[in-house]
Amino acid sequence: MLTWGVVAVLAIGVYGQRALGMALIDPERLGHRSRQVLAMVPLSILCAVTALQTLSTRGELVVDARVAGIIAAAVLSWKRVPMFAVVVVAAAVTSAVRVLS
Amino acid sequence: MRQIPTGTSLTVGEAWTIAFTYFTVAITVSLVHSTAGTPPWIIVAATLLVNSATATLAYAAVTAAGGSATAGVVAGCLTATRFGVLAAALAPRLWPERWKRTVAAFAAFDPNIALANREQKDVDVRRVYVAMSLWLVLPWWLGASLGAVIGDWISNPKALGMDAMFPALFIAIIRPQLTTNNARLIAILGAGIALALVEVLQGGLPFLVAALPALLALRSRDERRT
Repeated sequence: MLTWGVVAVLAIGVYGQRALGMALIDPERLGHRSRQVLAMVPLSILCAVTALQTLSTRGELVVDARVAGIIAAAVLSWKRVPMFAVVVVAAAVTSAVRVLS
Repeated sequence: MRQIPTGTSLTVGEAWTIAFTYFTVAITVSLVHSTAGTPPWIIVAATLLVNSATATLAYAAVTAAGGSATAGVVAGCLTATRFGVLAAALAPRLWPERWKRTVAAFAAFDPNIALANREQKDVDVRRVYVAMSLWLVLPWWLGASLGAVIGDWISNPKALGMDAMFPALFIAIIRPQLTTNNARLIAILGAGIALALVEVLQGGLPFLVAALPALLALRSRDERRT
């Protein structure tokens, strides 16, 4: 259960990290090579988030109906289907697999 | 103000999809909190002030499993470390004034940073970041508030496959970025490292290590087309 105190500490803790990330980087002093590396960080992290949200629950590897939904999402993305259809079909496939199993 | 910045690669379809996804998932996040006994107004406050379901859900998971509030808060802050790294990644392309970046930091999420990052010109990066932050945060707050009030209406979000919506959205965002061998390698390594470490490191920390494959950007000089 969340309390006011917990909300306050989490708010400071989470915003603090976001602000620190923004503050640590000084755009004017950053070299070309550092920029090249930083430009690829979102891709790397987004793939990590996708992998864990597909194949893990609360810190443990799990294979469940989500995998079917995400495989469908990957196939549709490769076929360049609009993003909205990708998200809705992934949810529908996951839901269908849960109903059928 | 234009809702979709013209002359950028951001499309109306992408903005609406992200708004829809965040709105829907926000309802389910509020449902988790209200099931754990959190009063509606604290759920709304948590949504507006913490601005990260990753953090509040980690707290809820730890305390629901019998962990102390302190352990829950530590877990919540640890899982949010990736937002700091993502903020740092986009920072060089945002405003040179530190105070502007400090304000922008509040809305540092995955999709708005990923979509802003794909712009060629820094000025477009800023416009897409501002627009996408609003397209994401406003539906997020709305969905969370709605969920806090009528959360019980959706009896089982998992049965509707809602837990597949975020990863599906991220796949759709990642896909167009996999244009070079280097990008594909970074993507596979990022995912692989996270999977290898998820059971070893505390929540959130695998993402920090998973950022390292970005160093491969230094590998080849012919991929400087961007």
